[in-house]
Amino acid sequence: MSEECDEEDVLELLNDEYARAILTETSAEPMSAKTLSERCDASLTTIYRRIDRLKECDLVEERLQPQPDGNHYKVFVSRLDSFAVSFEDGEMQTEMARVPTEEDPADRFTEMWEGL
Amino acid sequence: MTFDLITWAVLAVSVGSVTLGLVVGYQAYRGFRRNDSRPMRLLSVGLILLTAVPFTLTFVTTLLIRLEPSFAQFRRGLFLLAQVLQFAGLAFITYSLYER
Repeated sequence: MSEECDEEDVLELLNDEYARAILTETSAEPMSAKTLSERCDASLTTIYRRIDRLKECDLVEERLQPQPDGNHYKVFVSRLDSFAVSFEDGEMQTEMARVPTEEDPADRFTEMWEGL
Repeated sequence: MTFDLITWAVLAVSVGSVTLGLVVGYQAYRGFRRNDSRPMRLLSVGLILLTAVPFTLTFVTTLLIRLEPSFAQFRRGLFLLAQVLQFAGLAFITYSLYER
């Protein structure tokens, strides 16, 4: 996943307004591609393309939203907390923090099982 | 009462299996409570029916037969019961997987 994607790639990805919008919206709550398409005022194709690139860099996580009626759909959630660029002593540094994964075994268990 | 080595081994493994089954089943139940997840509740019941309950049955059966040899006549019936409970547990787990 992240072998093909270094911090420079993330920086480039963040340059894209739709990728930024997706990360912004899904930092509040998980959303389907359709919802994102409406919120970000972009076509589904655009959204899916950005989501694919964000997934490649492990910046967005895909989950299955279970529905009582049985029609489960995919939702996406941002995994990026912060990205910082700094310039010091003739060097550029990038610092990236991802959303921490669940620590409680019960929650990890739930996440794993619901993801199946 | 003296037990042979095999009986001790069966009892020890049964206790260990019940413990692990309860641990995993409990975490699944906590997952249900913390995440309001119905599949996890089904999984929890399934895991306990698959592991803790049948192993407890094995434990109790082994112990009873050693204490009261005439109980051996029930062994096959109790074995079937354990199998049925394990099947029920698997059914719950399967249901949890597909019924979302």
